[in-house]
Amino acid sequence: MPQVTVQLPSILGRIIDESRAIPIEADSLGGALRALVDRHPALGVHLFDETGNLRQHVLCFHNQTNTRWLHSIEAPLAKGDTITILQAVSGG
Amino acid sequence: MGVLVIVGTDKGAFLLRSDTARAHWKIQGPLFKGWKVTTVARDASGRYFVATASDVYGQALHVSEDLDNWRQIENGPAWAKDTERKLNQIWTLNLQTSRFYAGVDEAGLFASEDGGESWSPIEGLNEHPTRDSWYPGAGGLCAHAVLTDPKNSKRIWCGISAVGVFRSDDGGLTWEIKNQGIPMVIEDKQHKEIGRCVHGLVADPNDADTIYRQEHTGMFRTRDGGDTWQRIENGLDSSFGFPIAIDRTSKTLYIIPLESDEYRIPIDGRFRVYRSANGGDTWDPLTNGLPQENAYMGVLRDALAVDHLDPCGVYVGTTAGTVHVSNDAGDSWTQVSCILPRILSVSVYMQE
Repeated sequence: MPQVTVQLPSILGRIIDESRAIPIEADSLGGALRALVDRHPALGVHLFDETGNLRQHVLCFHNQTNTRWLHSIEAPLAKGDTITILQAVSGG
Repeated sequence: MGVLVIVGTDKGAFLLRSDTARAHWKIQGPLFKGWKVTTVARDASGRYFVATASDVYGQALHVSEDLDNWRQIENGPAWAKDTERKLNQIWTLNLQTSRFYAGVDEAGLFASEDGGESWSPIEGLNEHPTRDSWYPGAGGLCAHAVLTDPKNSKRIWCGISAVGVFRSDDGGLTWEIKNQGIPMVIEDKQHKEIGRCVHGLVADPNDADTIYRQEHTGMFRTRDGGDTWQRIENGLDSSFGFPIAIDRTSKTLYIIPLESDEYRIPIDGRFRVYRSANGGDTWDPLTNGLPQENAYMGVLRDALAVDHLDPCGVYVGTTAGTVHVSNDAGDSWTQVSCILPRILSVSVYMQE
């Protein structure tokens, strides 16, 4: 499986007491997020809501692509890809 | 011995420490920077539990033995997917008995039998026959107050806004509504016994059947465990407010009335705490050292605490981020030298 990097916002990085850049091996975007939560179960409640979907105001980018525009979260990954978690904020 | 005050705010928790004179305070923080710290409690073994929440990242419960090293509890309170409910925040923690309780928004009660490591819903309350008629107050549909009877672990009270007070006499299996004598604020077509908006609850430390209730519609007292309630408003210039606290040594009560549910600010900009030394029969305003002009901040329901020393210390955190302390049971007050984010919770502990 290709190795990718998951970038976390600092507010979540502090919870797991680890670097904000986490190497993960996964075939797909969804697989990477599942692997991330398997490794750090405390992140699960912060990324996903009760329905199992990403929380409404959590943004997830696959490289430069907002994953909300993808047809499926099971999009394939390539070695060196970056998955970035951000909070959806706009303006003040 | 020292005094530790944990102030939970919109942007983290702050630790205020003093000796028992409670005249000078050192401030540390923020802990959980960026998170709402919605409520804090300490269990009998001395472990601290902090509930956090975020509009973006949801809620969680954390535990620490030393206030430095924190661990997020992985199996904290959570609604099952099939309930179609969201767990927005933990409003209150009751760690008084070996069975811990957490009251949450969307309203419900959870219990832990293993020291807080895993939590289960109290189905008898959460799936109460009136559940479909529960409607939120301005602060959400939240279970924000849990009382337990130190002499009978089967007896539990839970306050839910804007539903009312429930009591269980069988350890949480079944629950009865305890709103008799309380005016309705939201009328349901079918269930006329709910629609009450409880804001705060405290019990007499020696008599669990005597409970004081800051309600949307006034101040009330029961002497029969909630079966009947009577108004106790003599001396109050407003009976609308949120927090209520009781000193377990002297049984003195403290509340912070605001001008009406419509305005929710101190009357005429005078910030007053009210005290009753006779079980709510009469109330007196406390003003010495509290801002008495141009003060328009509020105090949320979990942002008033007492330390049970003699004389009792009283601690108030405001929506303006100010902290006001009395080390003489409320006779005089000082403002701690800090301006914090909006304060959600205040709790106080003795430390060796």
